[in-house]
Amino acid sequence: MLSIILLSVSGLANLFLGFNRSNRLILPFVLLVLAAVLGVTVSGIDTHGALAVWNQSPYFTGMLTFDRYAQVFTGVMVLTTLLLLPFSQKYVRDGNANLAEYYSILLFSLVGGIMMVSYNNLLIFFLGVETLSIAMYVLAGSDKSNLRSNEAALKYFLMGSFTTGILLFGIALLYGATGTFDLAQMGNAVRAIPAADAGLRPMMHIGLLLMLIGVGFKISAAPFHFWTPDVYEGTPTLFTGYMSTVVKTAGVAGFFKLLFVAFGGETIEFWLPTLTAMLVLTLFIGNVGAVAQTNAKRMLAYSSISHAGYLLLALVALQSGRLSVNAIFFYSLAYSVATVAAFAVLKLVHDQRERDDYDGLNGLARTNPLLAFVMTVAMLSLAGIPLTGGFFGKFYLFSAAAQEGHIGLVIFAVVMSAVGIFYYLRPIMAMYMKPAAEGSDAPVFVGGFQSAVLVLLVALTVLLGVWPGVVEGMF
Amino acid sequence: MLLATTATYQPADYLPILIQLGLALAFVAFSMVVSHLVGPKRHSKVKDSSFECGIESVGNARTPISVKYFLTAILFVLFDVEVIFMYPWAVNFRELGTTGFVEMLLFMGLLLAGFYYIIKKGILKWQN
Amino acid sequence: MAEQAPLAVFAGSPLLYILIPLLPFLGFLINGLLNRRLSGTVAGLIGSATVLGSFLISLTLFLRFLGNPVPYTVHLFEWINVGSLRIPFSYQIDQLSLIMLLLVTGVGFLIHVYSIGYMHHDANVGKFFSFLNLFVFSMLVLVLGSNYVILFIGWEGVGLCSYLLIGFWNKNHNYNNAAKKAFIINRIGDLGFLLGIFLIYFTFDTVQYGEVFQKASQLQVGAGVVTAITLLLFVGAMGKSAQLPLYTWLPDAMAGPTPVSALIHAATMVTAGIYMVLRSNVLYTLAPDTLNVVAWIGALTALFAATIGLAQNDIKKVLAYSTVSQLGYMFLALGVMGYSSSLFHVLTHAFFKALMFLGAGSVIHAMSNEQDIRRMGGLRKALPITFLTFLIGCIAISGIPPFSGFFSKDEILAHAYEHNKVLWGIGLLTAFLTAFYMFRLLFLTFFGEFRGTEEQKHHLHESPASMTLPLIILAVLAAIGGFMNAPLVLGRGYLADFLAPLFTYSRQINPEAFGGEIDHATEYMLIGLSVAAGVLGIVLAYVLYVAKRTRPVEEEAQRGAFEKLVYHKYYVDELYDALFVKPSMFLSRTLHDFVEKRVVDGAVTGVGRGVMGSSQLLRNLQTGKVETYLLLMVLGIVVVLALNFIRL
Repeated sequence: MLSIILLSVSGLANLFLGFNRSNRLILPFVLLVLAAVLGVTVSGIDTHGALAVWNQSPYFTGMLTFDRYAQVFTGVMVLTTLLLLPFSQKYVRDGNANLAEYYSILLFSLVGGIMMVSYNNLLIFFLGVETLSIAMYVLAGSDKSNLRSNEAALKYFLMGSFTTGILLFGIALLYGATGTFDLAQMGNAVRAIPAADAGLRPMMHIGLLLMLIGVGFKISAAPFHFWTPDVYEGTPTLFTGYMSTVVKTAGVAGFFKLLFVAFGGETIEFWLPTLTAMLVLTLFIGNVGAVAQTNAKRMLAYSSISHAGYLLLALVALQSGRLSVNAIFFYSLAYSVATVAAFAVLKLVHDQRERDDYDGLNGLARTNPLLAFVMTVAMLSLAGIPLTGGFFGKFYLFSAAAQEGHIGLVIFAVVMSAVGIFYYLRPIMAMYMKPAAEGSDAPVFVGGFQSAVLVLLVALTVLLGVWPGVVEGMF
Repeated sequence: MLLATTATYQPADYLPILIQLGLALAFVAFSMVVSHLVGPKRHSKVKDSSFECGIESVGNARTPISVKYFLTAILFVLFDVEVIFMYPWAVNFRELGTTGFVEMLLFMGLLLAGFYYIIKKGILKWQN
Repeated sequence: MAEQAPLAVFAGSPLLYILIPLLPFLGFLINGLLNRRLSGTVAGLIGSATVLGSFLISLTLFLRFLGNPVPYTVHLFEWINVGSLRIPFSYQIDQLSLIMLLLVTGVGFLIHVYSIGYMHHDANVGKFFSFLNLFVFSMLVLVLGSNYVILFIGWEGVGLCSYLLIGFWNKNHNYNNAAKKAFIINRIGDLGFLLGIFLIYFTFDTVQYGEVFQKASQLQVGAGVVTAITLLLFVGAMGKSAQLPLYTWLPDAMAGPTPVSALIHAATMVTAGIYMVLRSNVLYTLAPDTLNVVAWIGALTALFAATIGLAQNDIKKVLAYSTVSQLGYMFLALGVMGYSSSLFHVLTHAFFKALMFLGAGSVIHAMSNEQDIRRMGGLRKALPITFLTFLIGCIAISGIPPFSGFFSKDEILAHAYEHNKVLWGIGLLTAFLTAFYMFRLLFLTFFGEFRGTEEQKHHLHESPASMTLPLIILAVLAAIGGFMNAPLVLGRGYLADFLAPLFTYSRQINPEAFGGEIDHATEYMLIGLSVAAGVLGIVLAYVLYVAKRTRPVEEEAQRGAFEKLVYHKYYVDELYDALFVKPSMFLSRTLHDFVEKRVVDGAVTGVGRGVMGSSQLLRNLQTGKVETYLLLMVLGIVVVLALNFIRL
């Protein structure tokens, strides 16, 4: 709860900080706030209790709970944001007029994300989804003079509001069928509905499917992924990075909570076939679609679709309990760190070379060995090569699914991750093997603090890959 | 509690509501169609032409309107609606006690902060 | 079925064990971080010293183990512990891992020393040694780990290092492509391996070797799940150990510096697949069907690669195909359950193939980076040490007693003979071809007159001591290494006795499959035949390339020159030519040009094209129009709902 309060209040305070003539204070302030929130969150994680303590420290008559699940995922999201923001220095340098507003919106959206993982009541979930989404619509269009950014914002907004309706409809139907918004009560009510009930059961079933569709859109699962490549490409790189990490983590973790608490056990049959089909389609479209891309941001957009597919594996393997929770946690952590690293490099390159296709990365190994190395590690981690965090992320997900007997799905996922090697190697090839174009072979400017963060990102990725036990015991 | 009462309802029990909705819509449609059919119609050139007075209309009606109108309008709605929260609070003022008072202070504080932000941001300045 | 007690856990301080892989890792860090600041020699010395340290520790452990041969595990730390998934980071110390340790660090050390001389002129020596050390580190992790996940980590680590080292001279675009090819083809194999691990975890609920094998021994011989597991694992081995059809990366991998070819593509990394199968011998014994597949793929690879080797003119390519062929031999041995023979061949092969690669490196070094044997000839005077050691290597690989290759090859052939006469026939034919093309290489390189440019001739020199010394040591090992495991008729198989405990489980499960002992008469007959095949190959090569001075035709003058050659030959020559050379050359070319380039490569690129094509199709769906997207989404929703409710 403290994290939400801190973020909201400092978001407001930050707005007023924006009136200051110099905008130099804003970024340090935001980073400080995030660091404080991270500290509060991590120190608040109680690693001793049992897993399924969904009702620990409830707020607002049990609508929000800050149990370990919520704390851990809050930690992941705050850490991701904290690692991402140092790369926004160019906005500061350029003296962007709305700088404070962007950061504040980002902080508010983080509040939405936290609500999505700490909800105990579907109303709060919806509130969180909307807080997060509306903030993202604005940030997608934050590069006001860029037509593509405007297009991205409009597309995202149109399609997003369309699915918001569907999500809300789903929640309403679930309420209609169970008479409650509370997760635990909903679980009881769902189990109490007789299997032969021809009225309530289809209602609940449709409600759940509609929610699945709504959340599927937010985490860009196929066939509701169409917005992703266009929006990712148009959105300013920094916020693309945010979208593909925090939004995804919040969506998956939040939806996992709903399924786990209210629709586990017998009721799995309601959603498992649909989710499995979506998973297969998502993995296929994400991985295969990425192959033909020539723009690094679009490639990462497809790659983020495919990662949503991998994450869905944990939802499919929900019955394995601890194993799948840990898989989501570890995967989203490793994936977020690697994605932040990739977008950070793209952002820095974009700031100077003004392009984000593969050719924009040409010769980077020569001009900026550090950037090239960071990008390489990030790509390897996303591809799931051992000794990087991404490998164990996939390993956990696959073992959870394998333990639940979804061997076919695991095989498919492994094959799809092989396709991934194809396109993750392409930026590496560009950086190490192609010379930079004439005129753009000057080293990309990287600040000292940014270098430090880049090194930290690599260190984290490798640490997670060598010693995954370092974050063990969360679940 | 809610569960116990709603669980006894079937979707079919909502049929009356549906019927009511249908009837309401039907009435609107019915009265519009009937007034159209029954009412007297007299056409003439002058009567059918669009009403004009003074100078002739020029250009497209969809001229861009300054965004300031929208901003002001939206801000008005925002603050207007916020005031609605005061009513339930006022009714339950005694029951909510000091906590309620502090909460309302916080709420109004936030609102004022927002107001200050708007002024400082220059959104209400009409000139530039 | 007798229960085998779980492995003892080592109770003492694990420091010594940690140091084995840690030392090369330190070398990697030092060389990697101080890349620019260290001189080449210092970097080389650091790299070599760390590997030497690991070797000495391994040797101590080995000697200690000889005194008390009880396998044990060394528990280092809890690595992964999530729900029911528990994977400790621990080592397994037994006969297999100790021998592999000695092999990796021993041969690795020699190659490090050699590289000091070989890479002397290169600008990035520090980088080179750091990669080499990282490779040794990964390989040590691979052989030391006590479960499949650690094995996989090491497995991928060596793959990555191989990628880095093949593309070491990354200014050449072809080299980069070779590196990429190696990486991607290996990943295809790794997929199988990874799936195998998941299936193991799913079936046995653990990935620790000891526990897996214990649980597996409860299963029936030929149980479907074990067949599936072993086949999947074998797919991984096919990638890493370059078996049909995933072998194409290995010949291309010769783009890397020669010591890399020696270390990675001959002595150590490619044997990882063999190691894995040996490690899982219990599972393989349970799956006779898989063993059959292994044996046939091994035999066919051996023959296939040997025939391609006949017509190659690049000194390293010949060695590369011979490596593929010899690896096929090892898999043949595994397939016919000659487990210890296979490991024996791994060892002897490591000696003579490392020797020959380093010898080839020495030649290339002397010839100023010329690799085409048509430009060589008569080098034995200029490079006496290289020549002698290379000769020993050639004799060893040709299976002439008492050199090491004879013993191991003979053992494999004996096992094959017992198992399946056809496999044995293929093995024998391969032995003949091997002897032929190896000596063709030797004669063309070291005999006759010099065919290079004048400039090269002036430049010819024997390599420095840091390069010849490893050659000599390896030559000695290649010469006498075979006595580790002399065939029964000639004495005792020390190695086989030493390794026997590894296979006790397998023996208990499926005793018949191991087969009995062959009677001495048959064994002598087999020895005689295999030696005869080798000698025949050598003689044929001698007649063709020394007595008749046949030269391989130039690429540009292919047909004309070829016909002219035939014209000038004696009847015997023509007979040889028609009977052996022409068909095999034809076969070799066909295999190389058609099967390898079209079918194998074609299949691989075909899959790639398919993926690319579907990707383009998906791209077309992405019109950029919100209307389309919304329409597709609504369609998606309708489909989701329809699929869910049509059956209601």
